[in-house]
Amino acid sequence: MAHQTHAYHMVDPSPWPLTGATAALLLTSGLAMWFHYNSTTLMALGLLTTLMTMMQWWRDIVRESTFQGHHTMPVQKGLRYGMILFITSEVFFFIGFFWAFYHSSLAPTPELGGNWPPTGIHPLNPFEVPLLNTAVLLASGVTITWAHHSLMAANRNQSIQALTITVTLGLYFTALQAMEYYEAPFTIADGVYGSTFFVATGFHGLHVIIGSTFLIVCLLRLIKFHFTTAHHFGFEAAAWYGHFVDVVWLFLYISIYWWG
Amino acid sequence: MADSIQAKLDNYRTAPFDSRFPNQNQTRNCWQNYLDFHRCEKAMAAKGADATCCQWYRRVYKSLCPISWVNAWDERREEGTFPGKI
Repeated sequence: MAHQTHAYHMVDPSPWPLTGATAALLLTSGLAMWFHYNSTTLMALGLLTTLMTMMQWWRDIVRESTFQGHHTMPVQKGLRYGMILFITSEVFFFIGFFWAFYHSSLAPTPELGGNWPPTGIHPLNPFEVPLLNTAVLLASGVTITWAHHSLMAANRNQSIQALTITVTLGLYFTALQAMEYYEAPFTIADGVYGSTFFVATGFHGLHVIIGSTFLIVCLLRLIKFHFTTAHHFGFEAAAWYGHFVDVVWLFLYISIYWWG
Repeated sequence: MADSIQAKLDNYRTAPFDSRFPNQNQTRNCWQNYLDFHRCEKAMAAKGADATCCQWYRRVYKSLCPISWVNAWDERREEGTFPGKI
């Protein structure tokens, strides 16, 4: 029994789970230090170690899969399940914030004037930048599908172009939202309206940034010939994540921007 | 009509059942009657009419609302920071 006789991947010992756990501890204690003692050192250290762990762990995964061939069909199947379960958990994360929004907005209290939007709040016009943002994310869904089909058809130029446009759209969304945040007439401190608006859209924006980062990594890997026409799970996972982010935005747009 | 309102006011004991607010949480009932009283007063004053009929709403909110809420709301109306539409 000198070699493995099963199709699964028994991973080599790795320091990244430990560094990741340490990073999580530094981040959380760093947050507490920032909130209560006005010091950002611990948190900065936490962010740095988190970043380094992520980069090196995922780099190792690319090495194990693309360069060493450990990602057989069963392994890939497990990764698919994993990504789907992760995205599902994120859906529930957002459900919490939508719950908070609807709890406060369906039965507005006397403190708010008994109406929603609360007295004194001037919401953003949903048919201005928010509508553009909707178009941008929907378009990114189209371009990433185009990129995927081009990849499967071995059309290198088109797949690179389409994925580049997808990334650009993601960055454009982030820039537009950042400008909206800066120009908004209300802040996170403006009662429950401000809280629900900025926490929900804020976490969504963070997820757009995460999704864009994932897609940029895919673009680099695509250019460096990592993917084959039949095996490119990293790309598919990024595409799923991008679609999820788009769907969350649609719910945000309908609930908070339009109905709200 | 004014007589029957006077009769209702004379016979008033406490706020009657209001099917608009059937549940245990009566906050909205208090709030609505507070608003309705002040809106009624304002409308009658604008028309130059008799505001006696508005007293019904006043009786109801006096029965239902915690005194601290009424005081806080009266203060805010004074300051111009009352969030409700009157």
